[in-house]
Amino acid sequence: MDSQNIVEIEHMMKSFPGVKALDDVSFSLRAGEVMALLGENGAGKSTLMKILSGVYQKDEGIIRVFDQEIREMTTQKATELGIAIIHQELNMCQHLSVAENIFLGKEKVKNLMLSQKEMNQEAAAILGRLNIDLDPATIVGSLAVSKQQMVEIAKALSVNAKILIMDEPTSALTSKEINDLFTIIRKLKSEGCGIVYISHRLEELKHIVDRVTIMRDGRYITAIDFDQNRMDEIISHMVGREIKEKFPRVTCRKGKKILEVKNLNAGRLVRDINLELYEGEIVGIAGLMGAGRTETTRAIFGVDEKQSGQIFLDGREIRIHNATDAIEAGIVLAPEDRKKDGLCTKLSIRDNIALPNLDILCSRLGVVNRKKEQEMTRKAVESLRIKLASPDADAGSLSGGNQQKVVVGKWLARDSRVVIFDEPTRGIDVAAKVEIYHLMNELKKQGIGVLFVSSEMPEIMGISDRILVMCDGRITGEMEAAGATQDKILKYATQFESKIS
Amino acid sequence: MNKKQNGWKRILAIRGMGQVITVGIGLVVMCIVFGIINPTFFSSKNVANLLRQIAPILLIGIGQSYVLITGNIDLSIGSVVGMSCMISATLMTKGMNPWVAVVITLICCLIVGVVNGGLVAKCKLPPFIATLGTMTIARGIAQIVNNNYNTDAIGDKAKVFRDFFYYGKVAGIYNTVLIAMVLWLVFNFLLSKTRTGRHIYAIGSNIEASKLSGVNIILTTTKAYLVSAFCACVVGLVICATSGMGTMDAGNSYEMYAVAASVIGGVSTLGGQGILIGTVIGASIWGVLQNGLQFAGAPVAIRNIVIGVIVVVSVLIDVIVRSGRFSKKSH
Repeated sequence: MDSQNIVEIEHMMKSFPGVKALDDVSFSLRAGEVMALLGENGAGKSTLMKILSGVYQKDEGIIRVFDQEIREMTTQKATELGIAIIHQELNMCQHLSVAENIFLGKEKVKNLMLSQKEMNQEAAAILGRLNIDLDPATIVGSLAVSKQQMVEIAKALSVNAKILIMDEPTSALTSKEINDLFTIIRKLKSEGCGIVYISHRLEELKHIVDRVTIMRDGRYITAIDFDQNRMDEIISHMVGREIKEKFPRVTCRKGKKILEVKNLNAGRLVRDINLELYEGEIVGIAGLMGAGRTETTRAIFGVDEKQSGQIFLDGREIRIHNATDAIEAGIVLAPEDRKKDGLCTKLSIRDNIALPNLDILCSRLGVVNRKKEQEMTRKAVESLRIKLASPDADAGSLSGGNQQKVVVGKWLARDSRVVIFDEPTRGIDVAAKVEIYHLMNELKKQGIGVLFVSSEMPEIMGISDRILVMCDGRITGEMEAAGATQDKILKYATQFESKIS
Repeated sequence: MNKKQNGWKRILAIRGMGQVITVGIGLVVMCIVFGIINPTFFSSKNVANLLRQIAPILLIGIGQSYVLITGNIDLSIGSVVGMSCMISATLMTKGMNPWVAVVITLICCLIVGVVNGGLVAKCKLPPFIATLGTMTIARGIAQIVNNNYNTDAIGDKAKVFRDFFYYGKVAGIYNTVLIAMVLWLVFNFLLSKTRTGRHIYAIGSNIEASKLSGVNIILTTTKAYLVSAFCACVVGLVICATSGMGTMDAGNSYEMYAVAASVIGGVSTLGGQGILIGTVIGASIWGVLQNGLQFAGAPVAIRNIVIGVIVVVSVLIDVIVRSGRFSKKSH
């Protein structure tokens, strides 16, 4: 294998107002290798890659690409050099078609006119090469998130990339799509591409990664050849301390029934759902993307309309028509998409925590009690160890893991009976994950019912006491965590109804 | 036969065509109803007049649609109309050659477009605030050019100007209508077939994605505001030609008519969505309602109420249709 360095970064410095994002970071990438860039949230991985791809400008340091020193990197320059980046957040124009998105910013023009046909054909060719089954004329907004992610990947590859940066490319993909992606990555690797792979899903690394570079708090820690047996070492480099248990578990006595859902129907993805939740247990809902897990939690929480079904809380039937009903009854939901559903990113952290609790915080006339509000925020920040500059900072300024803690924290200030978590650890780092798990365990100990949806099987098996598996809007299987295996879950998760009746 | 069907399919496949067709049917129904109430609605004289009434609304609608599709709004349109009317009239009453006056007016109006684009895209002001400011400034300029008076008549030398923009006819169609049609063709081509057009949709759809894809946000936004200022300028010239003088409050609240024409025609105020054929329908509904209700003998107050209701209902229908579509999407 060619072991020549195609990218060399030395002594990279970058500051944002109030934060030193990169402090003397070095990095190298060879042709034909997959380099995993690892570190907790806020370690500076994305910043480093954004500098390499010209999105951010460096403060100090040297970038060499193909032995050529690049003094000023711009997005344009990066594209010319064959550097392509797949960004962490989905960056698609929802109103435009697949082909239009792929060619955005580099449209093919003939005599002033866009040559739509040519672009459609070329897009089809790119998609075909990547084994993605999509019509280039489809509007991106009508596609599922995972498909949009594939379009994003196709877009990055449409420029003949020599250096490909992938920032959390798999967080929205199904396992089949992840497999397809890995096939693509292996192919690119054999063609001599250098690939930088950023992911929090450490279990993925063994399939594709050759080397890892580890960063922590904006600093370069080490770069080593990847070896599955050195996972513990890698993790301790990342967090700077040993994490003893990836999935801490506490045992509680199973108490009385808290929540019972009977024959719940809400659209095609929530069909005849029956579930029970007891004191002192965590119930995990597993399944593939699009199995109806999120929809089920939303229907229970009352944000989506139900066609039929009954919900019992502590043995009493309750009627939930909207989220207010659910919150009053004591059922709360920490949603999947933090930025979209979970947080008002432009409001302060304090405002976010107070928002669902204003009924407790307000006097009878509706005036917010500032003291109580501050007290509530302080408690939430302390108990969740949220790292923040000030409670008055914008929620959007926090790192992903800390944002998630705020989403969770705002529900803990009130006495809830049932807390539903939807993908609580998506896109956050190992240490923050463990803190979220501790929190769930804490709730469990207090006798609060915890229901959580997750796409990560080790997490489902490691944290829940009982596992429900959904497929195609139905619950297809139920098992105790003790007897669960990935194979068993997967079998239930793919139990589609036969299409021919 | 087969070819014809393909043609239809292709038209129907154009994004946003569904809503345009729905609204188009509404327009046809409206015309029929007005024709039944008062058959002279369809007289050739009224049709010619009606088209001439629609033309300015269409023009400012085109400008506003461009800006709305980028996800912004232009509140300065009405004032730019006034500015154009007053600057051109003042210059002509001073005896300047009409065409030179037109060029100077155009330059002044385009400067407003550049300022709007700069404030919104470069200085990142909220478009509502930025253009609220330029709206007031442009109205002030309209008032100041002739020392806070409407101008005198622009005189005989300007007859060629008045004919070109309003009174003249080619092949039995008023020039105003022809100007609107030509500009519509040009701007429709620009929006649907060129790179600039694509970028206008892209930044309205997702500005971050566009930036990361190398789209020049500042330039594209400014282009949209330039189109808007240009269209407003032409409308100002038409109004000047119509009345033969400059009036300071020409184009008052036209920016809102422009929003209404765009929105009725399916242009989203959130950006990324809309086609100019929709703006044609939107402007036509506006014009037909004004004209038809007048023919039916409805007082101005009733006309205003009806038009307001139509704006809300047409957008409401779209919202309902769309929510239906999204629930289908999850299947």
